[in-house]
Amino acid sequence: MKLLARASLVLICLLAACSDEAVSEDLKISVPEVVGAYKSTASVRADRRLFDGAPPVMPHDNFGANCISCHNRQGMSVPGIGFAPPPPHSNTAPPSAMSRCQQCHIAALSEDLFRENSFVGLRQDLRKGERQNSLAPPVIPHQVLLRENCAACHTGPAAREEIRCSHPERLRCAQCHLQQRSASEFMR
Amino acid sequence: MNEQNPAEPQRREFFKQIGAAGVVAFSARDEARLDKLVADGAMDAPQDDLNWQKAPCRFCGTGCGVMVGCKDGKVMAVRGDEASPVNRGLLCVKGYHLPAMLYGEDRLTHPQLRDGDGWKQISWDEALDLIAEKFSSTLEENGPESVAVYGSGQWGVHDGYAALKWVKGGMRSNNLDPNARLCMASAVMGFMTQFQSDEPMGCYEDLEAAEDFVLWGNNMAEMHPVLFSRMLENKRLNPGVRIVDIGTRRTPTSEYADMYMEIKPGSDLALANGVLHLLLKKKQIDRSFINENVVFKRGIEDLDEIGYGCYGENAEKYTFKDKASDSSLEELETFLADYSPEKVAEITGLQAAQIEALATMYGDQGRNTLSLWCMGVNQHTRGTWMNNLITDLHLITGKISRPGNNPFSLTGQPSACGTAREVGTLSNRLPADMVVMNAEHRATAEKIWGLEAGTINPKPGYHAVDMFRALSRGDIKAMWIQVTNPWVSMPNLNRFKRSPGDGRFIVVSDIYPTPTTDVADLILPSAGWVEREGVFGNTERRTQQWQKLAEPPGEAKEDAWQIMEVAKRMGMGNLFPWPEDDWHEAMFEEYRSFGLGIGKDLASYKELRETRGMIWPVVDGRETRYRYAAGFDPYVKKSKGVHFYKAKGYGEKAAFWLRPYHPPAEVPDDDYPFWLCTGRVLEQWHTGSMTRRIKQLHQATPTAYVEINRADATRLGIKSGDRVRLKSRRGELVLPAAVDGRGKPPAGSVFVPFFDESLLINDLTLDAMDCISKEPDYKKCAVQVAKA
Repeated sequence: MKLLARASLVLICLLAACSDEAVSEDLKISVPEVVGAYKSTASVRADRRLFDGAPPVMPHDNFGANCISCHNRQGMSVPGIGFAPPPPHSNTAPPSAMSRCQQCHIAALSEDLFRENSFVGLRQDLRKGERQNSLAPPVIPHQVLLRENCAACHTGPAAREEIRCSHPERLRCAQCHLQQRSASEFMR
Repeated sequence: MNEQNPAEPQRREFFKQIGAAGVVAFSARDEARLDKLVADGAMDAPQDDLNWQKAPCRFCGTGCGVMVGCKDGKVMAVRGDEASPVNRGLLCVKGYHLPAMLYGEDRLTHPQLRDGDGWKQISWDEALDLIAEKFSSTLEENGPESVAVYGSGQWGVHDGYAALKWVKGGMRSNNLDPNARLCMASAVMGFMTQFQSDEPMGCYEDLEAAEDFVLWGNNMAEMHPVLFSRMLENKRLNPGVRIVDIGTRRTPTSEYADMYMEIKPGSDLALANGVLHLLLKKKQIDRSFINENVVFKRGIEDLDEIGYGCYGENAEKYTFKDKASDSSLEELETFLADYSPEKVAEITGLQAAQIEALATMYGDQGRNTLSLWCMGVNQHTRGTWMNNLITDLHLITGKISRPGNNPFSLTGQPSACGTAREVGTLSNRLPADMVVMNAEHRATAEKIWGLEAGTINPKPGYHAVDMFRALSRGDIKAMWIQVTNPWVSMPNLNRFKRSPGDGRFIVVSDIYPTPTTDVADLILPSAGWVEREGVFGNTERRTQQWQKLAEPPGEAKEDAWQIMEVAKRMGMGNLFPWPEDDWHEAMFEEYRSFGLGIGKDLASYKELRETRGMIWPVVDGRETRYRYAAGFDPYVKKSKGVHFYKAKGYGEKAAFWLRPYHPPAEVPDDDYPFWLCTGRVLEQWHTGSMTRRIKQLHQATPTAYVEINRADATRLGIKSGDRVRLKSRRGELVLPAAVDGRGKPPAGSVFVPFFDESLLINDLTLDAMDCISKEPDYKKCAVQVAKA
């Protein structure tokens, strides 16, 4: 309840700040504005990253420093804004290597460009996650570092359809899913 | 069908690939899901068929390992290299956005010559011939003091070595200095005056081994984020870990500190002396360590004799030279009588209890103590002294050259250590800690370079600030600038404003147009980062090599190649006798021979290619994590303890320097009542020429701003976002205010980052310098603040 009060306070401040001409209004909250909506699509996901593997930029204003008050271990529904998904990182409570969110995640204060840039980044590829046979569990097709908390993306309200896990009650993912580290095969 | 669904071919291609891979796992539900994906555009993605290779990050001195994913000659992604011992897979926001740095649409692609008010494209042959002709004729008419090369701590080792050999071995000039003079020259002089050998003794494993961290004027959370996160992880695993943040404003680093000590600008000298005072008083010193390993020295301390080197005061050149005399522990005791906690509290603005608490940390032999510092200490009118004092704290307690116990200077640029310091691209230096003033050193270099005895000029050249003063005066007539942007980064910038056509010839090599290329006579397009092969050396003495992984745009060429081609055209081709298509390894091995057998042994090029870098000295294929330490350093013959074997001039002991407190060069007064401090921010690399061209980084910090204390802001009627006019005795600037932003200066003090080329804070800064290193102090001058 305290957190909700805090979130609404943030919202009020936010509305007050929207009068600032330098910052366009839609930058403030680009997560879906409909209450209860929370999933992003693959293309929205891609828009928030320079390339697949780059950390997403914050899709909302930098609401002060305490990110984990909303982005906590279970994630949190923030009325009027949407669902704040849990972080996929192993330890985000300070102090820890991953506790300074702004080391990697930044918010846009402007929509301007300094100069045009023609960089074309790697796109997310969902055609991976190979199975040895139709009954075998798929391998993990991405780096696990910084994505130690599988549940953050694969279960819960924020999980996108295409990567949603059908068996969230089984907690030890690595029992069946292995990280694919190399394309080379064992040869004797 | 195709007309109705343009994604259909991709969809079919996808099923074809699935079939080809022999993977059959998709149900009808999967297929429906797939349709949705296609509609979302997610299936436009190519397979990850990138070629992934290692490289060090291009930006800061941490030297994180990245895996670079390339395709068709372009970089498409990076990820933190989990095999790198530096960062173990983690990066910061600059590192994650690194690949876009190469693809700003205004990359320089062809040599361009000034043509009236505009530019005309010329060929490489014309450009190189012109440089050779201008430098040759200038040398002939005005001698070796009239030419200069201004380089960079972002030069790769090859670029710096080529420049050094051309300037010092070819043109017989010593006017070679890097922007690293603005960044870590004070740390160089700190280590040189105490150990007669540059660079820290510890390594990043100190970040896990230490229990008490003392950050001297160092916003590590933003400037060395990955090292900061290693320290925080240590604190997570060992809750007894303590972090002390000594600073002149609250920064994101302060948020994680157990003790924040806010000092008055420049009073760190008094604080360190105050801690020494208490250590002696409480007898928390290691006498047996001191007897065995330490000598005491004292330099010139007269403020009037030393001065600050500003324009107008010491006029055009600042050439103060320190003179050492012997001192002793007894003299130290008398010297420190002036630094009682009460007196130091008065100078620093701290509570005496805070000073006692800090002394307790250094004095506690049961805990490991690591001191970390960067620009706050180095960009300081007494920066070498401050480096000395921090190391003194470790010498007097014996907390040095042991895991977790070290004075650890952090470096700003990716190869400030590898290129500026180790290659020696400074106006007085040669490779491997040698100097041009020493006849033996010159002879060694001449022998390795196959030059006639007496070729190398014994008179040191201009250090960076004096180099630009000489250019303004007209004493330097031809200058080549590579990988740096001095018309944004020099202090008191107004003094160096230039209009082309002034009789000087300035060549600038860069990857993008900058305010520096704007005033050039000739612009050369350079290949950047992995568009060429190279070597960087990071803060922990780790040398890291990378291969060429991507194609440079247009006709862009690497900096070392540009220098070698000009040298050849000046008849100095003998300096670079290697085949044109295969010279990187041969050049590196020649350079490496300078340090072999003297404790500066770099790894071989082959070893560097095969590893994630190695920490020198590397002897018999083994790196040295802790220098001077028995059991770690192969040059130490003792079975335990330490041996400062490089300090031959001090009887192979380290020098403890007595250094007093001196006030800063310019202090706020009634006319200019505020302190101005300048510095960097997490998202931008130095003058922003690379990072501002990356959308995400630019949008997070679109312009420079002035951080101002809430009380001052309220008093002056300033709100966040309001335009504020700052004025110093040298210049003025209007920029938006940030009240309670990421940094929070105390009342009477403001902070401005220097990355923004359209809001040049260096028009206001003072060109006061450190008396020994000649590094400018960007952290302290006086300004007026008013709502614009």
